[in-house]
Formats: sequence, C-alpha cells, structure tokens
Amino acid sequence: MNYGLVLNTLGKILMLEAAGMLFPLAVSAGYGQSDTTAFAISFSVTILCGYALFLIPSRITRVRIKEGLMIVSLSWLAVSVFGCLPLAISGSTETVIDAFFESVSGFTTTGATIFNQVENLPKGILLWRSFSHWIGGMGILVFTLAVLPALGVGSFQVFKAESPGPVADRIVPKLRNTAKILYFLYIGFTVVGIILLAAGGMPLFDSIIHTFGTVGTGGFSSKNASISTYGSSYIHIVISTLMLLCGINFSLYYGVYRGHWKDALKDEELRFYLGVVISAVFLIGVDTAINIYHNFTLAFRDALFQTSSIITTTGYVTADYEKWTTFSQGILFLLMFFGGCAGSTAGSVKVVRILLLVKMIKREFLHILHPRAVIPVRLNGKKVSEEILKGVASFIALYLVIFALATLVITLDGISLLGAASAVATTLGNVGTGFAEVGPGKSFSDFSTASKLLFSLLMLLGRLELYTMSVLFIPKFWKNDM
Amino acid sequence: MKILIVGAGKLGYKLAEEFSKTKNDITVVDIDTDALERISDHLDAMVVKANGMQVEAMRELNLKSYNMMVVVTGNDETNMIICSICKKLGCSHAIARVRNPEFARQQDFIKSTFGIDYIVNPELATAKQILKHLYSKNSFYYSDFAEGRIIMVDYPVSAIKGFAGKKLSELELGNRYGVLIAAVSRRGEIIIPNGETLLQPDDIIYVIGKRDSINKLAKEYSIIAPPTQIKKAIILGGSIIGFYLAQRLASQGVAVKIIEQDKNRCEYLSEHLENALIIHGDGTDPELLEDEDVVDADAFIGATGYDEENLLMSLMMKQLGVKKVIAKVSRSSYIQIIEKLGVDFALNPLDITASDIIRYIKGSSAVAVSMLLGGRAQITEAIADEKMPIVGKTLAELNLPKGIIIGAIVHNGNIIVPNGSSVIYPGDRFVTMCLSSDLEKHESILWKGKRGIFQ
Repeated sequence: MNYGLVLNTLGKILMLEAAGMLFPLAVSAGYGQSDTTAFAISFSVTILCGYALFLIPSRITRVRIKEGLMIVSLSWLAVSVFGCLPLAISGSTETVIDAFFESVSGFTTTGATIFNQVENLPKGILLWRSFSHWIGGMGILVFTLAVLPALGVGSFQVFKAESPGPVADRIVPKLRNTAKILYFLYIGFTVVGIILLAAGGMPLFDSIIHTFGTVGTGGFSSKNASISTYGSSYIHIVISTLMLLCGINFSLYYGVYRGHWKDALKDEELRFYLGVVISAVFLIGVDTAINIYHNFTLAFRDALFQTSSIITTTGYVTADYEKWTTFSQGILFLLMFFGGCAGSTAGSVKVVRILLLVKMIKREFLHILHPRAVIPVRLNGKKVSEEILKGVASFIALYLVIFALATLVITLDGISLLGAASAVATTLGNVGTGFAEVGPGKSFSDFSTASKLLFSLLMLLGRLELYTMSVLFIPKFWKNDM
Repeated sequence: MKILIVGAGKLGYKLAEEFSKTKNDITVVDIDTDALERISDHLDAMVVKANGMQVEAMRELNLKSYNMMVVVTGNDETNMIICSICKKLGCSHAIARVRNPEFARQQDFIKSTFGIDYIVNPELATAKQILKHLYSKNSFYYSDFAEGRIIMVDYPVSAIKGFAGKKLSELELGNRYGVLIAAVSRRGEIIIPNGETLLQPDDIIYVIGKRDSINKLAKEYSIIAPPTQIKKAIILGGSIIGFYLAQRLASQGVAVKIIEQDKNRCEYLSEHLENALIIHGDGTDPELLEDEDVVDADAFIGATGYDEENLLMSLMMKQLGVKKVIAKVSRSSYIQIIEKLGVDFALNPLDITASDIIRYIKGSSAVAVSMLLGGRAQITEAIADEKMPIVGKTLAELNLPKGIIIGAIVHNGNIIVPNGSSVIYPGDRFVTMCLSSDLEKHESILWKGKRGIFQ
C-alpha cells in the first residue's frame, strides 16, 4: 500500500473541503450570525490538517485498486469528520456524535437529521448542511478529479470506487473531462433549479437550500415542515421534476446533448425507472384519492411528490403519508429499495440492478423449462457478462443481509419493528425519511449514541455501494503482505 | 487529438498507453471484454466493445470526429478491411499493421486499394534494427540521430573504469570529449542527471554526442568492440522477424541457419527462403545445437515468440563465446533486469513500432522518436521552426522542467553539445530526452501553436 499517495490525496481533498466552508463562512458573516467564529475555526483547522497531509511526500505511481478503495473510503470518512466541525463548534448539536451523524447524513445525501427544529439554526449551518448534499451528490472524488490535476495514472480506480451502479463508465475518453462534464451538467441543473424556485416565490436563500437538497437527492430543508411549508403546487411540481431528472443516469444527458436523444429514450433502465414511477404514482394516487383525499388533483400531486422523493432517495416530505393507507405506505417502503438509475445522484440499490435481477429470475424460470438452454441476459440489446450479473446478485444479497442485521441491532433501542426497519432502510438507502418513530417531521435525535454511529456507518456503506467501504473492515486489507 | 485504436492486444495497449500520456482522447475498440477491461482500468482511455468490421458499430463511433485511427488487430487481412471500411465511413487518417512478408512487396498497392495512409510492420522494423546492431562497431545498444552523425549509446557504468562513484561534474565529459550524459537508468527508473549526480556501479548511462566524439571516448576507455565480420548467423525461431532477418542477411552473403520447432513452418520457410538453411528441431536442445556448430557462429539472434527462451538462449550463447548476441523481448516486464544481463541487445518490437507510429503522427518536423526502457523516457529528434515555443531563447531562459533535457543541436551543420547559453534557431535539428511524466510539458514547448493534427 502506497500510504504516501493515499494521505497526500486526502490532504488535497481536505483543502478543497476547507475552500467549500468559505461559502457558509461568508453567508454567516454577511448575516452577522453566531456561527461565524465556528466556521472560521473549522476552516483553519481543516485547511491546516489538509496542508499537513499534502506535505507528506508520496511516490508518484499508479493508483492501484487497493489505493483507489482506500482513498475513497478514507476521504469520505475524513470529509464527514471535518464537515461536522462547524456543527459541533457552533454548539448547534448537543454532542459531537450528533454532529458527525448530521455531517455524514449531509455528504451521503441521506437527509436524515437529528434536529427537531431546523428553523432555529443559523444560516451558515443551514447552508453548510445543504452544500454537503450538493458536493456529496455527484461525488467528492469526482469533484476532485474535475478540479485538480490528475491523481496519477489509474485514477479510474478511484472513479470506479465512488460512482454509483454496477459498471462505471466514462462519458468521454479522458477521465478528467468525464468528471468535468458531469459537474457541468450538475451545475446546470442547480442553476435552473434555483431560478425556477425563486421564480415561484420562494426566498432566494431557501431556493438555494432546497435546490442543493433536490439535485443532490439529499433532503435537508431549512423548514421544520420541509417542502409542505410551501403550499404552492408550482413548487411541488418543480421539485418533483428536478428530483426525477437527477435520478436519471447523467451520461444520458450528455448523449442527448450530442444529439443521440433517440438512444437515450430507448435506454432500458430509464424506461424501467419511469415505468416504476408512473405505476407507483398511479396506484398511490388512485388509492389516496378514493380513501383519504377525495380529490384527484391533490392526491396525484402528493403521490407524484412522495414517489419521486422516495425513489430518488431524496426524502423531502409534502404530505404526512403516515395518514395514508397501509397499501400506499407499503409502496413507498418498497421504493426505498429501488433508488434512482446508475450514474445519477440517487442512492440505494439502483434501478438497473433490480432490472437485471428481474431478468435473471426470468432466465432461471426459462432454465427450468429448458435446462440446457444458453440464454444471455441483455441490457439495451447487449449481453451482460456473467461477472456483472454475479456482482449484481451478491450486491442485492449483501444489501438485504445488512438491512436485516442492522434492523435487529436497532430494535435494541426499544422502538417498533417498523420504525427500526424503516430507519435502517432509509439510512442504508440514503433516503432520509421513514415511518413510525422516524416518520415525516420526526428526527433521529432520540436514538442512542451507538445507534447513531451505526446509522452513520450504514449511510456511508450505502453511498459507496457497500463493497468500497467494507474493505476497510477486512483485516487482510491492512496487512502489508497483500 | 482524438485517436481511435482498433485492437486491444499488446501493441494496442502500448499505443494507448503512450498516447494517453499527453493530451489525446483515446478510444480503443475490440471484441475481447477482458482486454478492454485491462485498458479501461489502467489507462486514461475509453473502451468500446465492437467488431471493427461491423459497419453499424463503426458508424456509431462517428469516425469523422477522429483525427487518426490505428488498426492493430492480430490479423493483417482484418486490419486492411477495417481501414477500408472506416475510410468509407469518413475516417480521415488510417494507420494499419501489416506484417506478412508475402505482402511486403505490394505495400503501395495495398495502401491505395484499402485507403491506408501508413503501414507499420513491427517485425520488419525490428529486423532492420537487429541488422543495424549486428553491423555496428558499438558493443552496446545505441540509437542514431541527424543522419547518423549524432549517436546515443547506453553504457553500463561497470564497463567503464573509473566512472563509478564519481559525480558528473568531476568527469568533465563535456570539456574533454564534447559528449553529454543525457540520462541515467538506476534500478529501472530513469533520472535526468545534473552535475551533482553520483554514478553508481550498477547504473546505465546514456551518452549522447557526435559519433566521432563518442568513438573517441569509447576508445580511450577501451569499451569499443573489435570489428566483427559476420559470416555465420543463427536465428532461433522462424517467426516473421526471423524470416525478414534471414532474407536480408542471406542477401548479403551471410550463411544463415534458422532453427524452428514447427514442421509446417519449416516447410514454409524453406519454400520462401532460398539461401537459408532451415533446421527443424528444438532450439534449446544441446545436442542439436552442438550438431549445428552453434558455437562457431558470429551472431546469434533469439527471435522465437517466447521472451524467456530468447533471453536465456542468448545468455547461454554469450557464455559459449558467440560474439554478437541479440534477443527479441516483447514484454516490458523484464526490462529492469535485462540491462544487467550479458545480452548485447534486447530489442522490443512494441517500443520500436510505437515510436514509429508516434513519429508518423507528429508529422514532418519530428524526424525520429525512440523510447527508452519500455516508454519510461522518449527521445525525439525534430527540426525547429519559428512557431515552436522552444526556438529563439537560451536554454537557461526556457527554464525546462527537470524531466526534459536537450541532448544535441545541429546548427548550420555543426553539432553542438548544449549548455545554458545555447539557443535553438529555426532550421536547426535538435534532440530532446524527456521522461514520460513530463511528456505533456514536452509536447507544449515543442508543438504548441500548431494547428490541426498537433492539437
């Protein structure tokens, strides 16, 4: 293991994070609020630590798989730790663990909060929480690749370890340009989002906060009642659409930009994703319209918002869905396991994995009828290699195992099974909102310290696609003889 | 520059590796997923799984957007057809590998028929290099520049008395002989030295200078080989390289023996090579070697498909007293140890071909490009024109990065070993040595401001 290289890269990333703290620092100083000093201290500490790590000499060599995994896992951990400094120093959270939970929830774009009253928080802190969504959405390392000169030959290992989905793909041959294109698209969505929300009458500061939370598919809000604070249907529709758009694979947008919009529309994952969204909206809409709202327009508006919010793992809330029928709640709960498309900012399992799983199951059925048949699994007309299929199957299995075990551990806190299960599903899938004890408008503040740490771990595991982070827990990985 | 490489084999990988070191957008096409994955994981290049002969797949790549395509699949005929198809689909420039000796005489016909702009033949190029070294006076590997007036030789420090343990400034090679140590290879890494660099016994130094000056140095330190006349040559392996080599050696009146294991190949060789003796047998069999009087040969060339066999047999021949021993080694993995072995030269066809293609792509102002240690450094010979940023300033003013050194300048026919106050004028030829880590910088000081293909 080339520790020099890993620590050096870590230093660069921390310095970038420190630069990111300058925005909330400026905002906080501009509003003259109490958290200015906290940000100044956090900035200094982060930049000094980053610089110290940056000074560690490193042999410039290839980034190998091991270093790639190490860089990504440690970066996310370090960025979360330093990201919790403003929260902890300003005294916004009661304990450091709470601050860490909040910071991890921010960077992993979960949006689960430990604050019961976010409206009391200073503006700098609010902006920092949402900014962490924004940067974590597209990826800390992707950002680093876009702005810093190449990490060295083999940075693809890093890109691969962070990017969501079963296969990491370049959009253009140079990795650095791929990263730039992703961020250009992302910034484009952000700017459009802020303009549209501000045009709908939302104050500029809140527009920024909610756009960051939406395009990063995070879910932090500056209001206690989340999006339901705003009664305007226009705002609901804008945010729903933006969430759905950010749940689509970003390379499709580049394809559209290059004029291949027909191919983009034919993309199987996109069609499956839209199919799931439309069916869920339809089922919930009809169900709630008949049984709860007695008003089709309103029912479908809320169904659309809640479906988009959950499937893209954002976690914004406009309706108290706990008052909905169990059937509708069940659909939302299942959607937590879908997530957006691969290569989007959404978390959870990812639609493409589910799609491949469905196709594999179909193939198994065919195999029962024709035991000797050779049947390839195809995606967009191309055969998917058995290796990738194996990866998909084991990913989903591991996901469910972690879900089940973590749920069991959380029940030790003495909460309802539904509460525990949804809390685990919502953190592991980076959604942010759940049912019962963690339902809409409720927070994670009442959990024990151990549970909060477990949730933080689950969020990181979920964001980095389980395997990247898990390597840190394999003792052999740390031994030099590997 | 956008470059499409079809074929992700050894040469395809090597080319993608070399091209992606500078600001090129590389796309590699192949049908083998594993080969593509290796490239995608290790290099900054995009990979596409497709058959190069499939029109639909190639059309999707939008060939018009590429400046150049290099077709290096394993099969000559496939390469020709792919070029032909892609030219019709709008590709502007196509390079193909064609290596079958039977096609060698009809190159021009092939080029015009299939629309190929440049044909590379790694085996022929390697055979030519081997020939050059067989007849050279230098007992160590060298490359020549400026039409042979400047040469660069690799000397192991251990072979030169009194060099080990000295600083370069103490040796005063510049004043005494007019030559320059352009690079030092130490444990597989290349260092661009300065006056303070201390030479260690197992270093290899790359000395550049006027041919006469280098010869003078070699004579004084008695590191020059006694002139050899090659009358008998043994070629191990009847591969394509062996074929080309035998053909050329035989035409110069050398008695050539090829030892080849495959019976059918032997039949083929004997049919096509009239003046060479083809022996069917295992080249590593001591009895066969004794029967064939291998020890009496003046030269031994290991040219089988197996690097290990070539190297080990060459070493053995050297010990038995064969004067010139050359091995073909295609993998760069062994480079670090090869230099330390007693083999006279180990030639890497991949390096030779990659250099050839890079030189072709750079266009008319790059006269020669060659690689050291499997691409860890690149030597370029170029002709200066007024647009190059490097022209018209003293070298001290240029403030070149540590990894780039100007080895020699030819100004009005005079060869200058440069120092800080030397200036390159338009029309001068010059030789640069550049570490692969500084290639991007190298590119920008040499070719910046050029339009089209250099972008």
